[in-house]
Amino acid sequence: MAATQHLLDVDGLSWPELQRRLAVAEQMRAIRRSPAGRVSDLRDQSVAMLFYEASTRTRLSFVEAAHALGAHLIDFDVSSSSVGKGESLADTVRTLGALGATTIVVRHDRAGAPWLAAQAFSGHVLNAGDGWHAHPTQALLDLAVLVRHIAASDGSLTGRRIAIVGDLLHSRVVRSNLHTLTAAGADVRLAGPAPLIAGFHDYVASRTLTRGSIRVVATADEALEGADAAMALRIQRERLDGASLGSTETYRMEWGMTEERLARVAAPSCRVLHPGPMNEGVEIDPDVAQGPRSLVLEQVAEGVPTRMAALWIAAHGLDAPPPVVPV
Amino acid sequence: MTKAAHRFVDHWLVDPVAKRAGVATLDVEGSQITAVTWRDGEAAAGATWEAGANPGAGDPVRMILPALIDLHAHARQPGASGSEDVESFARAAAHGGYGSACLMPNTEPAADSVEILDAMVRPHSGAALSMRLLPIAAATVGRRGEQVAPLAALVAAGAVACSDDGAPITDPRLFAEVLAAAATAGIPLIEHSEDPVQSADGEAADGAVALRLGLRPWPARAEHEAVARNITILREVAARIPRARLHLTHLSTAASLQHVRVAQASGLQVTCDVTPHHLALSDAWLMGEQRWSWLPGDDAISPSAAAFNTNLRVCPPLRAAVDGAACRAALRDGTACAIATDHAPHSRERKEVEFGRAANGIAGIETSLSVALAAQAAGELSLATLVAALTTGPAALLEGKLPAPTLSAGAPASLVVVDRLATWVPARANLLGRSINTPLLGVALPGVVRLTLHAGATAYSG
Repeated sequence: MAATQHLLDVDGLSWPELQRRLAVAEQMRAIRRSPAGRVSDLRDQSVAMLFYEASTRTRLSFVEAAHALGAHLIDFDVSSSSVGKGESLADTVRTLGALGATTIVVRHDRAGAPWLAAQAFSGHVLNAGDGWHAHPTQALLDLAVLVRHIAASDGSLTGRRIAIVGDLLHSRVVRSNLHTLTAAGADVRLAGPAPLIAGFHDYVASRTLTRGSIRVVATADEALEGADAAMALRIQRERLDGASLGSTETYRMEWGMTEERLARVAAPSCRVLHPGPMNEGVEIDPDVAQGPRSLVLEQVAEGVPTRMAALWIAAHGLDAPPPVVPV
Repeated sequence: MTKAAHRFVDHWLVDPVAKRAGVATLDVEGSQITAVTWRDGEAAAGATWEAGANPGAGDPVRMILPALIDLHAHARQPGASGSEDVESFARAAAHGGYGSACLMPNTEPAADSVEILDAMVRPHSGAALSMRLLPIAAATVGRRGEQVAPLAALVAAGAVACSDDGAPITDPRLFAEVLAAAATAGIPLIEHSEDPVQSADGEAADGAVALRLGLRPWPARAEHEAVARNITILREVAARIPRARLHLTHLSTAASLQHVRVAQASGLQVTCDVTPHHLALSDAWLMGEQRWSWLPGDDAISPSAAAFNTNLRVCPPLRAAVDGAACRAALRDGTACAIATDHAPHSRERKEVEFGRAANGIAGIETSLSVALAAQAAGELSLATLVAALTTGPAALLEGKLPAPTLSAGAPASLVVVDRLATWVPARANLLGRSINTPLLGVALPGVVRLTLHAGATAYSG
């Protein structure tokens, strides 16, 4: 058994490590397709779901992933727990540990919360999204989908152009994707409204990348020019008002993933992603979201094998032989 | 407390009042230094002070400095004695080599009355403390920034300065009123310069690290624009009341320090201090990188398991390495007159929370001298500069409210003996404060305090 394995971040994961994770996820996909559809590799594990923030896709796919691996699930309901009485995250985590949890999946509205959980817990901690900071399993599933559809001949994303457009400032998805996509060799272009991209110029300038590249550009057209894939980010309607970015229609015109814009500037086969939930008709048009370019539902489906892999690697380590597909 | 006679044979003495350093033998009897015999005779004072205070390779390992003076500390009494009280504070301070400390009035309730001012410094046990505590009064009633506190009465009761530390005085008219009232009462206003509108919700210094970690930005201009405004108001008040004095505490940005430098050059009575953490750490520590800010960085690092350590959450926040360099430059050129700890103990429950919800503050009084010595060892500060910043600099601001921090016959025997080459590793087992919220836990630090004397009495011995 490997030492305690957390998945707190994808910041710093190398391309070989990411490939290993993708390979385990591929195996998980095979398990899901097998007649039984599940294994019992993690029957000795108790996975506690600790979600301080609302979630549909991430929570459901972690629950499904835990079931598919035979793990016991502790479905902790933050809203009806002592958290409402002011019990701290650290104390809650210690309580879950005392109740036998071996793995904790944390979603939290504050950056760094999973690090706090990891300090207070002797088992594995998986970050299911922390504030604006990181969303490791989302980035891993996005990478799996992109590698499947637009990989170069060596299986990486080397030379592939990927546009990420929208509210970067508040997005944990973009922060994590920047690490995984560049580690995979992609050339990433970022664009968004000035108040929602503040600081990214300095951040990009401060990074020394050994693979891939990141550029901050001024317009959605520039970001999408020749793009092999494009990711739209959710814009919260209250932020449109708060940052005086004008109406949803103005936002759509400037930053929206529209078929007109994609057809005009992106590569002809450009695929479109969105981490969800979508504001259709704002950051992404319905015909794009549901059209032939869209990988949105595939992203959702990829959530289960990706999170199965995350749970399995936490328990067994990255170097263990992959799980066997039942026949 | 025992008052044994001491003879310190052939130690490296640094006397910032006489501006003299060298090998000497120092005798203590009762509460006084009775004799100091310099090995090189009586002549060599003064001229080579700045460079000559640094001991050479063959010089004694044991060093004696006047007991240190802190301009800015929180002893958490009354109101939060679970985090610290004056007795635990005094033990921690003596371990850090300190003999005197100014205590900030953000107590509960705030120290805006003679009664609370007394309660700030009174030991619960009734026993005498092994250090001198100097209370700072609230500048405004309740530190609410609405009405000037009764400063004359507070000064009569022992207040050495006034401040609403942690609650910047945002109303410019009130700020001018406080400056004038403090001048009349004969004390400086010590201001925490921050525009709370701009820093609202800030978790980490605006920059690449905050962005990478998804922490809400605390812009540098929230500090330096407040500094500029405060200096502007001082200029107006000083035109009417030349005695008006403003001291800006824990400045942390290059731009803030430059504003002070320019104001001082124009003759304005404005001073400032910097903290050990701002001069030696940077926001890279938030990534889990424990590296002094003067050492070259590796920008390829990723957050480690030690990232988001809430013991690094402090106000103003830790900033870029260039800001740390600016803090050290300000000490070297005299723009900053003091290293002030901003010792801010917090109980575990206030720190073992999400980074953005953690209480601001670092418990720093036990590590301050070691951090300064690390900067000195790296050639970033001369020993003369750092000793002045820990003794004569703060004493000058307090204008005679303390005996001069000197090592000469007839002076009070308030001194610290430091093994300058030994190292130690801060941990719960060796820290004496009630709270140990320091990011330096587990970090090897130079400079071990062996003995602290307060007027001849042993305040710390280790």
